[in-house]
Amino acid sequence: MSASDEALAEVKAAQTEFDLGAVFRSQYARIARIIGRVVRDSARAEELAVEVFLKLSRSPRAQRENTEAWLYRVAVRTGLDELRRSARRSRYEHLVSFVRGTPTPEEILAANQEQERVRRVLCLISPRQAELLLLRSQGLTYDEVAAALKRNPASIGTLLSRAQDSFRKEYIKLYGPR
Amino acid sequence: MDRDSLANPDWVDDRLAALGLDSNWQPNTSDAWLRLQALRHQRSSSRSRWALLAVAVTAALLSLMTFHSPRVFAHYCLDCSVAFWQSLSTAGPAQPPVNPETDRRLAPDFALQDSSGKTIRVSDFRGQVVLLNFWATWCGGCETEIPSLIHFADKYKNDGFSIVGVAMDDDGWKAVMPYLKAKKINYSVVIGNETLEKLYGVTAMPVSVLIDRNGRIADEHCGVIKKAQYEPLISAVLQEKP
Repeated sequence: MSASDEALAEVKAAQTEFDLGAVFRSQYARIARIIGRVVRDSARAEELAVEVFLKLSRSPRAQRENTEAWLYRVAVRTGLDELRRSARRSRYEHLVSFVRGTPTPEEILAANQEQERVRRVLCLISPRQAELLLLRSQGLTYDEVAAALKRNPASIGTLLSRAQDSFRKEYIKLYGPR
Repeated sequence: MDRDSLANPDWVDDRLAALGLDSNWQPNTSDAWLRLQALRHQRSSSRSRWALLAVAVTAALLSLMTFHSPRVFAHYCLDCSVAFWQSLSTAGPAQPPVNPETDRRLAPDFALQDSSGKTIRVSDFRGQVVLLNFWATWCGGCETEIPSLIHFADKYKNDGFSIVGVAMDDDGWKAVMPYLKAKKINYSVVIGNETLEKLYGVTAMPVSVLIDRNGRIADEHCGVIKKAQYEPLISAVLQEKP
């Protein structure tokens, strides 16, 4: 059997062994919550979580590797991408706000909430650092975070510390030392 | 807030803890599973459509490469479509009667060599009924009607009836000669030219021109000849007196 035949057999075996339904049932709620913490809308979080599993169903590589770690990484990235998209939308809406008139009390309240501040800062720091902070705050261990981000577990402590520094600086720059 | 509390690593964790979730929210796994299945199906259908389109485009490109010019390819497609629609109707439209003898125009004369080198002139066939058939080797409809023409040539050869095929291939005898042998064509064939095409008003293929014993055009037929419908016309013209 040639190397390519072996590789093909391996892929087929992995595809037949992989049970998307089982993974979905065990992980969907958690993935939806991870995304739900980042984005504002829970319904949107559920849609995005389905998209994550759709990507998984199309990625034989992800099915072969550490599926759980892959799901966490993609979930956090998907949430952050959505957050950046909505931040861009907000900026645009702010630019044309003179057309709409003054902001509503709900908008003022939302802008002052801590959640919105944290989300804004997460959009400003580097995506890698935002992913790291979110995964860690999700309760993942250093090893799990390292597996999800494909990093050396020994370097996670240092990376986390730098990410916290970046977060802190951006937060203070925007809102002052509260 | 003092500098010490800012330096505390828990400070960032405290901020991130604000990203809490609505305690009433429970992700609906069963609905989400159905949505996932629908999306998977939808995207695979969309992929199939793209694959089908890719196959169609590839086939079109290959066809264009096989046929030496888009014009020839377009003719071929047209002929195939005509042959297809005609084949769908078993009875087909009734063949109209031949032109009244008083309305017939003189068939334009020409002098061209056939496959054996013999010069063929329409005027040489005066006193006979001639079926002038414009065709080409790449024309699908022409190929369809060849068995009927062979049948007519064989059946009426002793009744003063001849068929002259006018091949319109750009490659001339190089393309036509092997074709004549392969199809076992039993009537004379000459290689046509643009002048002849214009004289007889040929704009598509196949075209059959039925010339009576006086050298006048009794019928002009554009499209594939159907044996059962065309044979009465030949018989009718054969029965006319010169």
